[in-house]
Amino acid sequence: MAAERDPMTFDGVDWDRWEGGRGVGSVQLLEALAGLVLLGALCFDYVLVAPGEPTIAVGGAGGPGAEAAVVWDVSSVEWLFAGVLLLGLFHIAVPLAENRRMTAYYWRQFRKNGLAVVSLGYLGLLFLVGVVGPIIWVAPNETIDYASAYAPPLGLGGGLSSPEHALGTDAQGRHIWHLIVYGIRVSFEVGLIATALAISIGTVVGAVAAYVGGYVDEILMRYVDLQQTFPVFILLLLIIYLYGASLLLIILLYGVFGWEGIARLVRSEALQRSEQAYTRAAEAAGASRRWIVRRHIIPNVSSTVITAATLSIPVFILGEATLSFLGFGDPSTFSWGRTISAGRADLDSAWWISTIPGVFLFLTVLAFNFVGDALRDATDPRSES
Amino acid sequence: MGVDPLLRVENLVTAFETDTGRIRAVDGVSFEIEPGETVCLVGESGSGKTVTSESITRLIATPPGEITAGTIWFDGRELTELAEAELRALRGDRIAHVFQNPQETLNPVYPVGRQIAETLRIHDSGGSRPINDQVIDLLDRVGIPEPTDRVDDYPHQLSGGMKQRVVIAMALAGQPDLLIADEPTTALDVTIQAQILRLLEELQEELGMAILFVTHDLGVVAEIADRVIVLYAGKVMERAAVHELFEKPAHPYTRALLACLPGRGGETAPIGGEIPPPADPPEGCRFHPRCPHAIGACRDGDQPPLGDVESGGTDHRASCVFYQSGYETDRLETPMGERTEPTGPEGER
Repeated sequence: MAAERDPMTFDGVDWDRWEGGRGVGSVQLLEALAGLVLLGALCFDYVLVAPGEPTIAVGGAGGPGAEAAVVWDVSSVEWLFAGVLLLGLFHIAVPLAENRRMTAYYWRQFRKNGLAVVSLGYLGLLFLVGVVGPIIWVAPNETIDYASAYAPPLGLGGGLSSPEHALGTDAQGRHIWHLIVYGIRVSFEVGLIATALAISIGTVVGAVAAYVGGYVDEILMRYVDLQQTFPVFILLLLIIYLYGASLLLIILLYGVFGWEGIARLVRSEALQRSEQAYTRAAEAAGASRRWIVRRHIIPNVSSTVITAATLSIPVFILGEATLSFLGFGDPSTFSWGRTISAGRADLDSAWWISTIPGVFLFLTVLAFNFVGDALRDATDPRSES
Repeated sequence: MGVDPLLRVENLVTAFETDTGRIRAVDGVSFEIEPGETVCLVGESGSGKTVTSESITRLIATPPGEITAGTIWFDGRELTELAEAELRALRGDRIAHVFQNPQETLNPVYPVGRQIAETLRIHDSGGSRPINDQVIDLLDRVGIPEPTDRVDDYPHQLSGGMKQRVVIAMALAGQPDLLIADEPTTALDVTIQAQILRLLEELQEELGMAILFVTHDLGVVAEIADRVIVLYAGKVMERAAVHELFEKPAHPYTRALLACLPGRGGETAPIGGEIPPPADPPEGCRFHPRCPHAIGACRDGDQPPLGDVESGGTDHRASCVFYQSGYETDRLETPMGERTEPTGPEGER
């Protein structure tokens, strides 16, 4: 048989070229490069930039102490956010762009739900404003001006309102619009980072439990039961009470304690996939368990995962808003929940302080739910109601 | 190639733990496969043929399944003693599998080329040539037209026959010495079936690999086998070269199976009775409750050992008391007198 092997005996694998032929290799390279740049920037921020100094100061004279036109001290949450966005870009946007036929199909299915399309547009716009807005508009605290406090939204308050603060001002004269814009970023950071965390843990746990089975399944799923029955919110309050409220901590806690539903969903789906012939074929081809979970089980439950992700984003956003409303939020952020809470006392005289962020919160949560429902219908026709 | 067979299975017992008790799905099966030959495992549903084939590389789900006894020698190594990682290195590389249903064997989320490349990648059997080229080579080899265009196709874009060709290409990627094909043509229609069988024969000639072919279809057996092993209720009933089996079936079960085949002259006769319950197989010969020739000796003890059907060193053996010394095989002819000498050109290859 040795002679027969001849045409196929080669020296090393050239997988990159194989993938490169499909244009995947270059994308992977780009992703690695982007990740490295981000990591480099992170190191730069933490090692070279003195604490308290802004990371980026463009325009003006620049340098420490000087007045700059654009000042951005990137926080740890924002670094994490950038990382998650990068992941989303390379693992959702790029595959969609590469596989146009499938994208077109999903879009046709998705388009059937008009509300979801509007919601997607709204979320896209919100996201853009949330990311770009804080660069354009100054932080709310810089607009503190007690002279223009309690100015009603434009067109409602007669002489007090002005185009400068179209959505009115709060008790300290801060522009509601600025609070909203900065709140968008907080909400998206919470929603996306916590979801990315929860999805990663939940998917891996669910898929491993389903495929490996036996006592591994038993241990993992009993832990999931435990986490599900455990009052996580109380734990959150306790930890925040003990260690102080920082947005990063809140996000991490939500992410790390919010994946049990996803794990169950993924497990039930992955159980079916584990029985499929292609899983057995991969076993027969000598693939390891890790390989099968990663390359066969998880890709085949991805529609479930994407839907679950979209539907868990609003849950986390609401969770953070709730904490902030109760006064357990990060005092250095301008969360919608905090603004709503601050306006509570003035609800009689200045309803807009609480109401406007409330409407934004409501619409955002609703929009994510609409998009999630439409995604589920688009990716899995069985669940169409 | 040496004197030793490529694969030697001895007294294999594979049991499954179930709610109704321990089921010995394979109960003391022995056979050999020489390099380059095609051996067919034949039997009804539940005869243990698939479990036998999957026990070789330990693909059976554990738990509930477990190889409780026996040895499996493959190319000088005892497979039942290998660690999982060592077996994994063997699977897909030296021993490849082709499964029954090509629609389900291919992962719907990947293009077919990528799935073939997977085996190359798992076993690092790539090389200086780009894997993409090797994949196209493999697709070409299994007779897929325009392989350069087909690599990027998803499974749902291919027909059933094409998919099975892709599955075979996946199996060939590791250049196996032994290909285990578990009913690879059952899910296909007859014309495609014939094409796939011919393809397997061509590939075998070209690559010199041995094939263990699992099927319930005696027509397929006649077409592809060199040697045949007939299984019933987890036991080997008869083993013979293919033309021997079709011309001179020895075991009453084999005769009954052949009598079920249409187009052999005479009436087709279904086998009376049912396969015995796997949790509680009968004493003695497993086939005796359905056997028209059963005598008292058939009902006691164990399955009779495989006895020579003819003296003279041919490897034609049957597990029937009538082939033990002291019995007259003529007894077997009487109740089934009309069909004593089945005439079967099917036996020729």
